[in-house]
Amino acid sequence: MTKKEEAWVGLFLGVPILVIPSVVAVFIAYDKGLSFAPLLMFTGTVIWGGLLWLLPYIQRKFRKDEKVIMFDERDQLIHKRAVMVSYVALWFYFVAACVITWCIVGPNGSISVNVMPLTLVGGLVLFNCVQGLAALIQYGRGAKDGAK
Amino acid sequence: MAQNELKNQIRRLRFENGEMTQEQLADKAGVTRQTIIAIEAGKYAPSLPLAFRIARTFGVPIERVFEYENNET
Repeated sequence: MTKKEEAWVGLFLGVPILVIPSVVAVFIAYDKGLSFAPLLMFTGTVIWGGLLWLLPYIQRKFRKDEKVIMFDERDQLIHKRAVMVSYVALWFYFVAACVITWCIVGPNGSISVNVMPLTLVGGLVLFNCVQGLAALIQYGRGAKDGAK
Repeated sequence: MAQNELKNQIRRLRFENGEMTQEQLADKAGVTRQTIIAIEAGKYAPSLPLAFRIARTFGVPIERVFEYENNET
């Protein structure tokens, strides 16, 4: 699997993997009022996210004999830029989350503690999305595949 | 405004070297085919070590593969 394909997988598989447990947990938290829901949501996200990030390493472990180059300096550069862009987006997201909450609730208002892990999950989803998109945009800027 | 451009002769050199494919060049230079495609199209400027590896693959000096143009407008 090339890095470009990995970026697509990250975007279309990674996001639902993070979103689905989060949505389920949000549903439980707000509709059923279970107190362990935020913890469950956080744990689920970490486990699923961790498993997703482990996949490439597991894949490489079983393909040790192959000498196919999958990752080179250009991929490294693209990955580095994508992470940088997603970090900036994440920073803006957290700033926006804090300011918007303050604007909506007001200085004397209060919010549920469930908002905190939800914000974290939202940040993870956003980071993953932006990283995938940034990588795809950068790969798209390159030459068309198949040109000999 | 200065416009820097790195031109290359990879495509010509590949055909001069027994119609070497991008895949073969990529394997010899230790990169992916997509990187060779990007370099050939002038979309990606390779690092110095990679530029040397590509030149060495063709058995020519680096200046025969890459040419730096600085067009001041």
